[in-house]
Amino acid sequence: MKTFLTATCLSLFMLTTAVSTGFGADKVLNLFIWSEYMPDEVLADFTKETGIRVNIATYDSNEAMYAKIKLVGKGYDLIVPSSDYVGLMRRQGMLIPIDVNKISNFKFIAPQFTNQSFDPDNKYSVPYMWGSTALAINTSLLPAETVQQTADLWKPELKGRLLLPNDPREVIGLGLKTLGYSINEKDPKHLQQAFEKLRLLKPSVRVFDSDSPKQAILSGEVSVGLMWNGEAFIANKENKMIRYLYPPEGFSLWLDSFCMPKGAVNIDAAYRFIDYILQPKVAAYLSQSIGYSSPNTGVSEYLPEEMKNNPIVYPPAQDAVRGEFLDSLDENTMKLYEQYWIQIKSK
Amino acid sequence: MNESLFFRRLLIGTTWGWVCLLALIPYIILLGVSWLQPGTDTLVLPTITKENYRHLLSPEVFTITAESVLLAACTALLCLAVGYPFAAILANAPAKLQPPLLLLVMIPFWTNSLIRTYALIMLLKADGLINTALIRTGLLTEPLQLMYTPFAVFIGLVYTLLPFMILPLYAALKAVDPKLLEAGRDLGASWLQNFLKITIPLTMPGIIAGTMLVFLPALGMFYVSDILGGARTMLLGNYIRDQFLVFRNIPMGSAASITMTLAMGLLLLLYYLATRRSGGRVMR
Repeated sequence: MKTFLTATCLSLFMLTTAVSTGFGADKVLNLFIWSEYMPDEVLADFTKETGIRVNIATYDSNEAMYAKIKLVGKGYDLIVPSSDYVGLMRRQGMLIPIDVNKISNFKFIAPQFTNQSFDPDNKYSVPYMWGSTALAINTSLLPAETVQQTADLWKPELKGRLLLPNDPREVIGLGLKTLGYSINEKDPKHLQQAFEKLRLLKPSVRVFDSDSPKQAILSGEVSVGLMWNGEAFIANKENKMIRYLYPPEGFSLWLDSFCMPKGAVNIDAAYRFIDYILQPKVAAYLSQSIGYSSPNTGVSEYLPEEMKNNPIVYPPAQDAVRGEFLDSLDENTMKLYEQYWIQIKSK
Repeated sequence: MNESLFFRRLLIGTTWGWVCLLALIPYIILLGVSWLQPGTDTLVLPTITKENYRHLLSPEVFTITAESVLLAACTALLCLAVGYPFAAILANAPAKLQPPLLLLVMIPFWTNSLIRTYALIMLLKADGLINTALIRTGLLTEPLQLMYTPFAVFIGLVYTLLPFMILPLYAALKAVDPKLLEAGRDLGASWLQNFLKITIPLTMPGIIAGTMLVFLPALGMFYVSDILGGARTMLLGNYIRDQFLVFRNIPMGSAASITMTLAMGLLLLLYYLATRRSGGRVMR
C-alpha cells in the first residue's frame, strides 16, 4: 500500500516538477517561494548580472511547500519557509547547511534576526523578510488609553469589539504572552492556564479573520484587532486614527528565510542569489515593492522617509526586542493546541 | 458511422480518464491514508489503525458535526420557505414571462459563490450600503450589527443556494395537473385542503430534491460562515482544513473527509430511492 501510494504521489508530482527543472548546472536556479514575494524585475536584473536563469514556482502556505519538499524532495534549489517551518525542516534533516561566510552581504542582517532558537547560528537559513503580529486599535471608536497592553483586551467595554486571527498558534500565543510565557511554550500546565484565560475572552471576539482583517477594523465592526503589521499598515494609511500597538507583554514575530532543501542541485547559484538579494539596494527595493519589512540594516539609506520612520513597518528598537519568533512545536504539544483550539472555537 | 463511434469513445474515454485521474485516484489515496497513523518525519506512518475513525465519535468532533448539520438543515428549511412560494408564483406566471424570470434566478449563479459572498459584505458591513442608507434617511443613528452574526450566515447561505431549491420545485409545480385542483374545488375542498392534500404530495419529489440540493452543499460551505459569521464556530469543513493545514494530521483529515463524503452519498442514495418510489418522472 505504502509503495503504491508513494509511487502514485511521486509520479503525479514528477509531472509538475519536470517542467520547472532545467538543464546545465548552475546556469539556472529553481526558486520555490510564496506567491507575490519576488518581483520579476529583480529576477531579470539578477539574470542580467550573473547569467543565471531563475525558474520560479510559488506556494501560498508553508504546509503546501513542506508537503511538496517532503514527497518529491528534488527540483528546487531554494525555498523560503517561515521561522516555525525552518525549525521543523531543520529538525527533520530536510535542509542543507548554509555557510554564511560564503555570503559577503550577510553582515547586513541585523543581529536581532540571526541566531534564533529555530535555527541557532543560522546554519540553515538566511532571513529574507519579517513582520509582527500586534494590536491595531481604532482610536476614534475607543480612547487610546483603554488598550495599552494585551491584558486590557479582557475589559468589559471590548465585549464584541475584538478581532483575532483565525489561527491557533497566534490566538493561543496571545494567551501565553498575556500570562508572561513564551509563545513557544510547551509546558501543559501553562498551556492550560492560557486556555482558561482565553475562554474568558471569547465573548469579546466578534470575528476570527486572518485573510483580510483590515476590513473589519476599517468598517468599524471592531475597535481592536490582533493582526500582522502589513494589514495594519494599509488600515493606517486609509484611516490615521488606527494605531498599531506593540504590547508591553510581548508579541509574535514572523520571519521568512532562504533555505536550501536536501535535493538542491544548483548550490552555487543559490548562494549567488542570496548574496544578490542581501545587497542593501536590492533589499530596499524589495521592501518597498512588496511592502514588508527587511531585516537588512543597509536599507534605511535607500528607503523613503515615510516608510523607514513608520513604526508599523520598522518598529523602534525598544519595542522590537519584545517580539518573539514562532518556532515549531512537537507532536504532543500540537495535540494540546488542537484540543484547546477546538474548544475555544466551539463554545 | 465508424467515425462517430470513434468520437463517442474518445469523448467518453476522456471524461472517464479525467474523473479517474482527478477524482477517483485522489479519493483512493485519501481512503488509504485515512487508515494510517500520522508521522512526524514522513507525514504518515505505514501502520494500520482504526484510531482516526474512532476519534470521529469523540464528543468534540460530535459537537462540530452537530453544529454543521444544524446549520445546513436550517438553511434548507429557510430555502424551502422562501423557494416554495417563489416557485409557485413562477409556475403560475404567464407563459411568456416564465423564461425571463427563470433567467433572473440563474444569472447571479454564473458568478463564483465566493465572490458573491464577498459582495454581501459590501451590503452588510457597519459602513455598508444598508446601514448607510438607514442612517442617511434618519431611521437609525447607530449602525445595525449585521456582519458576523448568524443572520448574516443565513443570508449568505440562502442567497447562494436558493436556485438549487427553486428549480426542482418549479419543475414539480409545473407538472401538477390543474384539473386535479379543479376537481378538488368541485368536491368542496378549501384552498388549504387542496394545497395540503394535492399540491404538496404531488410536489414531494421536488421538495426532497430541492432540500437535498441545498442541504448537501451547505454542509461543506464553511467559507460562508467564516467570511460572514466571523468564523466564531468550527464546522466540519474548518475541521478538515485545520487537520491538513495546521495540525499536519493528514490521516485524521482524510478520515473526516471520507466519512463526510460517505454520509452525503448515503443521503443521495436515500433520495434516489425515495424519488423512484414516488414518481421520479416529475424530476426528469
